[in-house]
Amino acid sequence: MTDHGTPAVELRAATRTYGTGERAVTALDRVDARFEPGTFTAVMGPSGSGKSTLLHCAAGLDRLSGGEVVIDGVPVGNLSERALTRLRRSRVGFVFQAFNLVPALTAAQNVALPLRLAGRRPEPGAVTAMLAEVGLAGRERHRPSELSGGQQQRVAIARALVSRPAVLFADEPTGALDAASGAAVLRLLRAAVDHHRQTIVMVTHDPLAAATADRVLFLADGRVFDELPGGAGAERIALRIAHAQHTVVAR
Amino acid sequence: MTAAWAMVRHRFASFAGTFVAVFLGVAVVAGSAALHLSSRPQAPARYDEAPVLITPPDPGTGDDRDRQSWTAEQAAALSTRLGELEGVTAAVPDPWFYVQRVEGGRPVGDPQTALQDGHAWSSATLGSYRLTGGRAPSAPGEVVLGTASPAGTPPSQTTAGGTRAWTPGGEPKTGNTTGPTSESPARRTTFGQQAGPGRATASGTVEVLTSAGPEEWRVTGTVDGPGFYVSDREAARRASGVRVLGLTVTGDPQRVADAARAVVGAAGVVRSGAERDALEPNAVTRIRWIGAQLLIALVMLGAFATVFVVSSTCALSAAQRRRELGLLRAVGATPGQVRRMMYGETALIALVAGLLGAPAGMVAAPLLADPMVRTGLEPAGFTVTWQPAAFAGAVVLGLFVALAGVTAAARRASRISPLDALREAAADPRSMTPARWVVGLLCGAAGAALLAAMPSLPLETRSSAGLGAAMLLLSSAALLSPVLIVPLVRVVARPWRSTATGMLVREGTLTGVRRVASTAAPVLATVGLTVLLAGTVATIEVATGIDETARYPAGNVLVPDGTPGLSAAAVTAQGAEPELTTRVLISRGDRTSGMSVTGRGDALILDRISAAQLGARGGDTVTIRFADGVEAKLQVAGVEDESSVPRSLVRQHDPDALTGMLVLTKEAVAVPGARSVPIHEFVMAEIDEEGQLIDLFLLALIGLTAGYTAIAVGNTLLMATAARRSEFRALRLAGAGTGQVLRVVTVEALLTVGVGAILGGLVAVVSLAGVRAAVEDEIGRDITLVVPWGATAAVTVLCAGLAVIATAFPVLKTAPANS
Ligand SMILES: Nc1ncnc2c1ncn2[C@@H]1O[C@H](COP(=O)(O)OP(=O)(O)OP(=O)(O)O)[C@@H](O)[C@H]1O
Ligand SMILES: [Mg+2]
Repeated sequence: MTDHGTPAVELRAATRTYGTGERAVTALDRVDARFEPGTFTAVMGPSGSGKSTLLHCAAGLDRLSGGEVVIDGVPVGNLSERALTRLRRSRVGFVFQAFNLVPALTAAQNVALPLRLAGRRPEPGAVTAMLAEVGLAGRERHRPSELSGGQQQRVAIARALVSRPAVLFADEPTGALDAASGAAVLRLLRAAVDHHRQTIVMVTHDPLAAATADRVLFLADGRVFDELPGGAGAERIALRIAHAQHTVVAR
Repeated sequence: MTAAWAMVRHRFASFAGTFVAVFLGVAVVAGSAALHLSSRPQAPARYDEAPVLITPPDPGTGDDRDRQSWTAEQAAALSTRLGELEGVTAAVPDPWFYVQRVEGGRPVGDPQTALQDGHAWSSATLGSYRLTGGRAPSAPGEVVLGTASPAGTPPSQTTAGGTRAWTPGGEPKTGNTTGPTSESPARRTTFGQQAGPGRATASGTVEVLTSAGPEEWRVTGTVDGPGFYVSDREAARRASGVRVLGLTVTGDPQRVADAARAVVGAAGVVRSGAERDALEPNAVTRIRWIGAQLLIALVMLGAFATVFVVSSTCALSAAQRRRELGLLRAVGATPGQVRRMMYGETALIALVAGLLGAPAGMVAAPLLADPMVRTGLEPAGFTVTWQPAAFAGAVVLGLFVALAGVTAAARRASRISPLDALREAAADPRSMTPARWVVGLLCGAAGAALLAAMPSLPLETRSSAGLGAAMLLLSSAALLSPVLIVPLVRVVARPWRSTATGMLVREGTLTGVRRVASTAAPVLATVGLTVLLAGTVATIEVATGIDETARYPAGNVLVPDGTPGLSAAAVTAQGAEPELTTRVLISRGDRTSGMSVTGRGDALILDRISAAQLGARGGDTVTIRFADGVEAKLQVAGVEDESSVPRSLVRQHDPDALTGMLVLTKEAVAVPGARSVPIHEFVMAEIDEEGQLIDLFLLALIGLTAGYTAIAVGNTLLMATAARRSEFRALRLAGAGTGQVLRVVTVEALLTVGVGAILGGLVAVVSLAGVRAAVEDEIGRDITLVVPWGATAAVTVLCAGLAVIATAFPVLKTAPANS
């Protein structure tokens, strides 16, 4: 995909350090990255390389120590907690690896939650349609405890997509799922990009999953060290990862 | 709000603490308030037919006992003038005096009520009491007996036998009397105990006791109201002046009242409508006052316990729901929305709990009416009426108190980061926040300051101040408890640190300091309040015990026996002179002072304080107004320790006065209504009587707070343990048997109770020290501090038992059947 003007999300020299002094950890080290509208990006890297941190900062869930994050043209650095929450609510969707749903609410209520929090009434049928789109028609009134892990994950994706966000972030969305459920979730994400021009940034450890993306970013030690097109295939991606792990061990 | 509702429905267990706290709090407040509001002053039923009542002017000394009297002549003159007013059918002075029935040589009935049981026959009209047989009294020694018993119960042995015996063929001469003629079948319940239905002896006489001594009166008739009715002249002679004048009217009472005001002017106060209720007898007012003290304390403690418990359970449930709240934040809830959701949930719970609790309290209140009457906390005939204000007020109070309790938790919850949704265990990195430090220390300082200031506070406010200080200190201890928990756990767990249980308990409590603090809070309140209440009473009891015995020498005293005081005959029988105490109003120039004086000797002596107040010295002439309304000018003979006025004047102007008690110099001569007891025993009996009342108060207050907070102890621990089920599951997976898990949670629970008990005890002892300082200041002598070890141990054991049950239950519930 090519440049379309305003990127959905842009990171400029994004730095995030945890702790101070001796115990300071630089989880993100001056990362520059652009995620263009309608693209599907996979982020890969060894454990502890800063993938989750990158996602949290890009999604406005966490704050940077230095640099800048611009979501849909809005720099988030100076936003108040409230303004940031509102921006997140309307422009950003997020899917965690697990524990995505409010246990007290039904599937339909969980999907409608961002809209309700924004004080909007979901259009009639919108929630049902969204659930049908993720293959959960008829499960509206089920509570999370009555759904399988893969189903819960799909409800979470439905919720992330219901407000038609500028960008959807997913942190190892298939990590806790079996191969079949994982594949279903990936198909869902791919379909959102292809049919709705949804922008997606996904962290994954699975080269097969990464291969469904348009682009793969490789992270090591808090830095982007390489990038491949998704079409490069799972094997090349796996090789590149092994290489990255090697570099980390060598250091 | 929909989110709040869904949360409440789904996680009712975690809101159960708040629910129970508010339910109980509202029930206590609604019940107490209903009792309190039902207990209103009420004009005696004796004045039911007199919509306008007139009392002598109030000298403005601020003491009810200084309400003046009119002399019989003044009252007569006033009633003549008032009787001429349009719309007034009768203007009747109501002099009263002490009469108590004697049966088998013993006075019967309530002594305090007996003080106002003697009436003039004409005053029967004010209550529309009619002659039911015989004739009106006319000569000295003649009486018409009241046959009505109190509380509307029909007299059992009335005129039927007795009356017939003494009025064989007697013509009722109602035409001659001022006796009432109108019918008034529906009679309001009367306050106050009656000597029982009048029962004439076969010979037509009745034995009574008056201020003069035992008398035998001839019964000439019976009347359908309570009391003893003698001829107007007799009543005027026996009564110490007239304190009420009643008007029976036709037409609009308000118009008559206005006209009467013009006639009376400064010579009296005209009361109509609700103002009449100020004429409630002092004895009844006092009883209601005592009851009110208890009810007010109950409301205060109820509200405090609710805030306390709600805030600790809310903090706990907010901590437990950290992940969930973080998720909401991640999905797009602003901090404000999270806070509002917490408020919404709590408001919902509090409203439901209040709407259930208030009726529960209202239903329970009437059940308490009888016990309260029996224990002398409410007057006889007291009934609880429907009090919408109590209902609504309690529900609203419950709502506000719950919202106040959730404030801190809501603020903390709103600061939860969206990333908390990702954190597995909610470890407390910071158990003490700056706000917690600040508020905790402020509460502590305020409580300490209040304690320190106690000796300089007025006496009446001291007990409330003590309770208030204790509440502040308890809040402070609860807020600062995490500081203590960490070192305490380290020390206690030290000997077992190498065992698995020791390690688990230690780490479990140290990573969940907030949780421990939340669960220890109710224990803290329970132990603290119980120890404080029991200790205060024990300390004061010991102090007053020493105090009262110290005042009297060895020997015997003659004391009233079922009577309000000793009659003149009882005293003279011992060869002594009555020591009559009377209330007088002394004025000099424009200064007036009301005082209680003893009739002694034949000169006017002033005590130093009164003399200074009046600016009088020996040789000065002052005006002295006696109980019967007569004024006299007397020369001050001297200024000494105690005031006294000439004995003859007291006898003359306060014929109804009684002697309080008499120190005996020789063997007592037996007389009705008096008995001789050793001084020590007398004092102990007095203390005992007071002690019984205090014990009752104590029982009610401790019962409430301990019961209340103990429920909270169980509840919070149940909540805390239930939320840790996954943790226990993990423990089991790691190879721990159910027994081991149980051991860990039990030790943790006991540790929690220990922390609460130590802190609560500490607060109580500090508060007790403050109370002791105040009492020492009051009586000017050192007293010992009594720590009620028994109560402390009992309440701690109770909490420990509850805690163990509450923690073991969820563990056993999740235990696999085969282990
Ligand atoms: N809250 C935190 N406090 C301190 N250090 C943190 C925190 N979160 C992350 N880190 C550190 O930052 C670095 C990057 O963490 P991050 O979670 O982004 O890694 P990751 O790439 O997502 O790893 P994984 O694949 O295991 O999920 C790690 O070294 C981690 O220890
Ligand atoms: Mg990660």
